[in-house]
This record gives sequence, structure tokens and C-alpha cells, in this order.
Amino acid sequence: MVQNIFFLIVLVFTLGMGLYVTVGQNLIRSAFALFFTLFGMAGFYILLGGDFIAMVQLLVYAGGIAVLLTFGAMLTAEVDSPFQSNQLFNGFWTFVSGVGFFSLIYYVLMETDWPLKAANYHEPTTKEIGRLLLQQYILPFEVISFLLLVAMVGAIFLVQKGDRQ
Amino acid sequence: MSLTLILAASTALFALGTVMFISRKNSIAILMGVELLMNAAALNFMGFSYYSPAKDHPLDGQIFALFIILIAAAEAVVALGIAIAVYKEYAHVQADQLNQLEG
Repeated sequence: MVQNIFFLIVLVFTLGMGLYVTVGQNLIRSAFALFFTLFGMAGFYILLGGDFIAMVQLLVYAGGIAVLLTFGAMLTAEVDSPFQSNQLFNGFWTFVSGVGFFSLIYYVLMETDWPLKAANYHEPTTKEIGRLLLQQYILPFEVISFLLLVAMVGAIFLVQKGDRQ
Repeated sequence: MSLTLILAASTALFALGTVMFISRKNSIAILMGVELLMNAAALNFMGFSYYSPAKDHPLDGQIFALFIILIAAAEAVVALGIAIAVYKEYAHVQADQLNQLEG
């Protein structure tokens, strides 16, 4: 019961903010709404028993990527005319296709029977995730760390290259 | 709260991200749409992990959500680097006007 109430709150919050990200005409405001959307996603993860993933979401997404996107928006958008910074382009037809896509998938979801088990666990997941990361998923873990290193070096190189010209 | 509702929320986020992705000209706004898409995918993995019928609650879905978050971080860093380099060159980031290579 309590879980359902929290799920409803998180659902309305996240989708409302996501809708503002999508329809807003001001890029800076969209960036801040994206921050709250990512915050709401952490709420979903907590409800789904992923305490560690929720914290990583808050640290990396809400704390890192959202701030980075806000910086990017402020560095590149036409800040003098904020209401022109993020104009819709063929807005009506994209929204029609978006609603059509959602309706189609929702119909499929309603018609499908998933083989489920009622799930209840509340113990911390950190130990199990650490075990999986260092035993079963050790290769993807290392590849991801190398990818992050390459992305950092590549981003610095790209920005420097623009400077030299 | 059920798996169907979780998947419906994820589908709604995916549709919002797709609309954002195809209806904007600003590169930063397109990047925000991609972030919404990646979050929808991660939410799917978390939902299936929580309601998994397998024994002993395997957390593989959460591991994949973790990988999605890290890949999104790498992608955001590189895309913003490109956007700032483009802005230094052209003084705008409108994706429809960027039609020259080696310009």
C-alpha cells in the first residue's frame, strides 16, 4: 500500500518533469527539469530494490550529467533570447507519433502475461553487486573503465582542437 | 506497483525521449533526449530484475543498469566536447545547419 502511494508520487513527478523537458521552449529550464527527472528515476530504483543503483544514479546522473548538460546549455545556447533557444520543429506530428508509439507498446504490455514471482527483498544489494562485478562481469567492468578513460581523453582533445584553430 | 506499470512508465519516458530527439534542432536538446532514452532502458532492466522469476533474486539486471549509467556518462562527456568544439567553430549548435565536413 505504502509502496503504491510512493510509486504514484514518483511516477507523476518523473513523467511530469520529463514532459516539461520535452515540451519546454527554454533550454535552461529543460536542463533543470531533466535534473528532476533523473532525481525521480532514483526514486524508481529505490522502489525496485536497487539501493546501490539509486545512489549511483544520484551521483553520476543527477550530480554529474545533469550539471554537465546545464553547463553545456549555458555555454552554447543563445542566452540573450532564452525563449528561442529550444524551438520545436514539426512539433505536432512528432507528438502524434510519440503518443502512437506509447499506445502501441502499452497495448502490447497489457496483452502480455509475464512469468512473475512476487518479489520482496530489502537487504542491501551492495555485496551481491560487488561479487557479480568482480567475478561474472569482470571483463565488461574493465572495458567500461577503459571506455571512461578514452572518453575523458577524447573530450579534452576535442575541446583543445577547437581552441588551436 | 507491478511490472506492467513499470514498463508503461519506461515506455512513456522512451516516447518522451524520442519526441525530444526528433523534434529539436539544438544539439544539447538532442543530447537530453538521448539521456531520457537511456534512463528508460535502465528502468526496464531494473523492473525485470526486481520481478525476475529466477531463484535467489539474481541482480544481473541491476548490473546492466549500472553499465548503462556509466556508458551514458561517457557519451555525455564526448557529445558535450563535440558540441563545445562546434560552437567555437560556428558560434551555434543547430544540428540542421551543420552540413559541412572539414569546412
